[in-house]
Amino acid sequence: MKLAKRLMAVLLSGVMTVSLAACGGNSAPTSSDASASKSDSSTAASEATPTETTSGDNVLNVMVEIEVASLDPQIATDGTSFEVIAGYTDGLMQMDEHGKAVAAIAESYDLSEDGLTYTFHLRDDAKWSNGEPVTAADFVYGWHRAVNPETASEYNYLYSEIGQIKNAAEIIAGEKEVSELGITAVDEKTLKVELNVPVSYFLSLMYFPTFYPINQAFFEGLESGTFGTSPSTVLSNGAFILDTYEPAALSFSLVKNPDYYDAEDVKLDGLSYQVVKDSQQAFMNYQNGMLDIVKLSGDQVDQVSGDPELNVVGAGYMWYLTMNGNDVPALANANLRLAITNAINRESIVNDVVKDGSVATYTAVPPQFATGPDGSDFSADQKMFADVCADDVAKAAEYFEKAKAELGQDTFTFELLLEDQTETQNVAAVLKDQIETALPGVTLNLKVEPKKQRVEDIQNGNYEVCLTRWGPDYADPMTYLGMWTTGNNNNYGLWSSAEYDAIIADCTTGAYITDAEARWNAMYEAEKIVMNEAVIAPIYTKADANMIKTGVSGIEFHPVALNRVYKHAVKG
Amino acid sequence: MKRYVLKRLAISVFTLLVITLILFLLLQMMPGSPFNDEKLSADQRVALNAKYGLDQPIYVQYGRYVMNLVRGDLGVSYNISKNTPISQLVEMRLPISLQIGGIAVAFGAIIGLILGIVASLNRNTILDTICTFISVLGVSVPSYVFALGLSYSLGFKLSWLPMLYNTKLPFESSVMPSIALSMFTMASIARFTRNEMAEVMGSDYMLLAESKGISGAPLIMRHALRNALIPIITVLAPLVVDLMTGSLVIEKIFSIPGVGSLLVTAIQSNDYNVVIALSFIYSAMYIVIMLVVDILYGVIDPRIRLSGDDSGRPGFFERWSRVLGIKKRKEVKTHA
Amino acid sequence: MPNEVAFDASVLEREFLADDFELINSDPNAKTDSGFSSDSYWKDVRRRFFANKGAVVSLVFITVIVFLALIGPHMNEYTYSSQSLTEKNFGPRIPVLENLGIFNGDEVLKTTTGEKIVNGYKDKNLTDVYYWFGSDTLGRDIWTRVWEGTRISLGIAVVSAIINMTIGMSFGLISGYFGGLTDSIMQRFTEINNGIPRLVIVTLLMLILKPGFATIVLALVITEWISMSRISRAEMLKLKEQEFVLASRTLGAGHATLIFREVLPNIIGQIITQLMFSIPTAIFTEAFLSFVGMGIPVPQCSLGSLISDAFNSFTTHPYQIVPPIIVLALLMLSFNMLADGLREAFDPKLKEA
Repeated sequence: MKLAKRLMAVLLSGVMTVSLAACGGNSAPTSSDASASKSDSSTAASEATPTETTSGDNVLNVMVEIEVASLDPQIATDGTSFEVIAGYTDGLMQMDEHGKAVAAIAESYDLSEDGLTYTFHLRDDAKWSNGEPVTAADFVYGWHRAVNPETASEYNYLYSEIGQIKNAAEIIAGEKEVSELGITAVDEKTLKVELNVPVSYFLSLMYFPTFYPINQAFFEGLESGTFGTSPSTVLSNGAFILDTYEPAALSFSLVKNPDYYDAEDVKLDGLSYQVVKDSQQAFMNYQNGMLDIVKLSGDQVDQVSGDPELNVVGAGYMWYLTMNGNDVPALANANLRLAITNAINRESIVNDVVKDGSVATYTAVPPQFATGPDGSDFSADQKMFADVCADDVAKAAEYFEKAKAELGQDTFTFELLLEDQTETQNVAAVLKDQIETALPGVTLNLKVEPKKQRVEDIQNGNYEVCLTRWGPDYADPMTYLGMWTTGNNNNYGLWSSAEYDAIIADCTTGAYITDAEARWNAMYEAEKIVMNEAVIAPIYTKADANMIKTGVSGIEFHPVALNRVYKHAVKG
Repeated sequence: MKRYVLKRLAISVFTLLVITLILFLLLQMMPGSPFNDEKLSADQRVALNAKYGLDQPIYVQYGRYVMNLVRGDLGVSYNISKNTPISQLVEMRLPISLQIGGIAVAFGAIIGLILGIVASLNRNTILDTICTFISVLGVSVPSYVFALGLSYSLGFKLSWLPMLYNTKLPFESSVMPSIALSMFTMASIARFTRNEMAEVMGSDYMLLAESKGISGAPLIMRHALRNALIPIITVLAPLVVDLMTGSLVIEKIFSIPGVGSLLVTAIQSNDYNVVIALSFIYSAMYIVIMLVVDILYGVIDPRIRLSGDDSGRPGFFERWSRVLGIKKRKEVKTHA
Repeated sequence: MPNEVAFDASVLEREFLADDFELINSDPNAKTDSGFSSDSYWKDVRRRFFANKGAVVSLVFITVIVFLALIGPHMNEYTYSSQSLTEKNFGPRIPVLENLGIFNGDEVLKTTTGEKIVNGYKDKNLTDVYYWFGSDTLGRDIWTRVWEGTRISLGIAVVSAIINMTIGMSFGLISGYFGGLTDSIMQRFTEINNGIPRLVIVTLLMLILKPGFATIVLALVITEWISMSRISRAEMLKLKEQEFVLASRTLGAGHATLIFREVLPNIIGQIITQLMFSIPTAIFTEAFLSFVGMGIPVPQCSLGSLISDAFNSFTTHPYQIVPPIIVLALLMLSFNMLADGLREAFDPKLKEA
């Protein structure tokens, strides 16, 4: 496994001439027509008088589905935690509305000619909320924490495999001292970062909270284990300051940071978060004016179709079927896998079951997150592989006949593993019906497990077919394509192709690294191999159906890293 | 008395140890680990397991857990609130569960008693049927449906009460959850009160009391209810523990930061320490409340009924009465 | 008639050996008094039970529901798992009644832009299609699913209640009969079982074992047998000192005979009553498991899983939650009233009050 990770690391780390940082991201569709829609707000919802507003008129009331898991930037891994941490902390870079990395604490940077050394120049007016300036040493301290094996940071692979920071992999493995990490505070405001190999999307990693600074004196002055457990145990250097919070709180708030270097651009007085786990309660609270932005379930979208306050934004991750060709002989047959992938009616699944704006997906790399050298979406053309992946029962039957002939077998019974969420269960019930109807002789038995158990089972190869998902870590197709290389951790079917591995190697370290066009085309070639053999059966790319109050604008939505950014949000 | 309580406490400590051991073993058998996530590689999982000592043999883990427990350390959460000491989570969340559970118990017990008394005094009349119907109806609809219905009507349509728990308005926000939570208690208490009262009313000493000219409220309150109270308390006691330790359903619907939803989330995400800690608290509360109940028996009914009834805990009565030197003077129930 | 002769309690403290007594009247021609009717008690019970209107009505309801649970899923062309996504979320439509303006497939959809009436049958021009209770979010027939779910829920409840009764009753009777150390150990065991939150045991079991009918039954048994054992134990403690038990013991009856032949018949009424109470509890616990996502696995359904599925469209398509809720409520009410009726029938003293 270790070897596999190393290989992955090398593959991922080549020079990519294309600026990945310029990729992806959808901005809030409300931002342009905020003033226009304000005047014609005529829905029942906005007329309802809020029964009680606890925190002022210019405070945005935000619904989240789950509690913050951690406010420790080096420990947090989930979207909600990232969103809140980024609300009150700035890193070297921040995301603009298109997901591009733009200056934050670092006002400029130099890149050495060999592409291996970044020198960041920090701005003079960046301050922590205790009045201390934000210095290069704060970044060094934060980064050292992230790679320290004692911290056991779950996202430390962003430093090693993805970020290729010098010595990161060795430090994480316990082979080198933490102090040997390729980051140096040249002086108070200058930070030098050394890489193993050039990583062109490096700047876009800098907005990940895992790379955020921590003030050493403050951190070490706290009682051990209390960092990030209350407003007084965190420092802010961002647009907002943590105002009320306790671990696993169901409601907490942020207020505007008056000392923020960019305070003029921050229009909100604060953010009030409310965890609501029941989507019907969330919507009722929204209609009563208690919440300004809520996420709806697919069933509720029926109720709001045609409502201008409905905003569908891409959530980034793709649901797909992985088929275990390694342990299930029949699934090693490509024609059987192709039969299954063509038997699925994806349009019906997104329109009739999921219903929240999720899009049917026919490519191994989902649409809407990676933009190519010409500025277009990598997977904009969903018909690219229509000859091998479509909602086509007739074609499925053809493949099935071939598979039956090749395998000398007419009936197949597989177990479809899925997790215990309502939406997943509904999708699986429909998949079962679709596949069994299109391929007479195939039986799918559903096996429902809690998420942790499902993930353990596919990681151990203890499954036959599994409905699973993958969200992009960075805005490049490689975050998906890298998964199907030989020996990759997430190559659950243990599929292997020398040709495929070679193309991926060329795209990351080899022939194509200097030629963006060629690399892009090579990635299509690689994707084609995956699709031709139906290594996976893509199903749909998830979207969030949000209701946003008329007058609220400027919330920036991103499918990677920080899902929602409120720095420029305005409440009408 | 003191010796009895001490002995009971000693047994309780043993019981608690066995309970934590059972939980440890059950959790060990549970598939998955706290660190099964798509994004985590095998190396990282090994590192995380090592960090929290989950790679140690189970007896080492158990031994260390008990040692920490003695020092009052409940460990940290792995998933729900990463690295947060569980004692801190409990400190914040338990009071809210206690508050809502407390209101629910009081509300359910009072309404249940009233319904039960009314029903028993008007047995086999339409009033009896109505009371039974109301009390059973309360448990006929799953509490989440009932809770959402309440929220829709009182919260959304009428805007009388906050739909979600608001820490600034603890009382107002507790009303709907408490009502929804009290339904089961109400129904159980109503049914038991009715049956116990019926039984007591038919007993010889009630006949005696009546023949002495006692009637009306004093007869009901002083003579009948007091005797009917013991089985009612026996039924109520475990319910108190259940309600006080929170309800997943109610907490989820009303976004209440209580311990019930914490427990279920912890089970589903393999957050072992949280499961054990919350179960431990539950067990401790259960054992303490049972002890209190046994002491209460003596207060309410100095005779201490030795004969069990369908809800009694005669094992304790017997020992208890022996310790207190109480002899059974009268059988309440006689069987042909 | 109870024996009125005074009994010297000190006899109990003496130790008897097996050969201390011999049966003096072994004459096979001896006359036994058989002038009493042995089933008079049961006749009485039946008479008292049928005099209770509420209980009888409940029994009728239960019979009808059980009947529908058995034949309901076969009354139309749909099966519980067949889905038709083009016919999802159709309102209830019943032949004949539809002409009266009710159950004609119309559904009032409350949207944020105002209420509108939708009728999937008319929109899709499906004149011959009837979903009597409507169709769910995946286009499955709610009528079929409700009765299928009722069958599964009742199955789970009845099987687990019977196992509970067997285990709990034996445990309680044995614990109460032997007393002393046996009782102490056995009671400690129940205390430990009680001390672990039910929720934890049930959910852990559901996670550890393969989800399904048998696992749910097992989870219910593990948490529910205790109340049965408490009742049996309490009754045993009360009865074992009574004259008829003593008499039987004096005549050399063994432990098993004393427990199961002498005491058990005297408490069977209480046991049956408790059995009836445990059925609704089991149905409800199963409903809770479904809400947590650990109920009967898809595409099978139970009343609990139907309610928790329909709960997600409670505010959008409220008609979907109504049938399973009504059946559940009727079952709960009926079983509780039936149990109350049985309790009174078995215990004449209650009736006289």
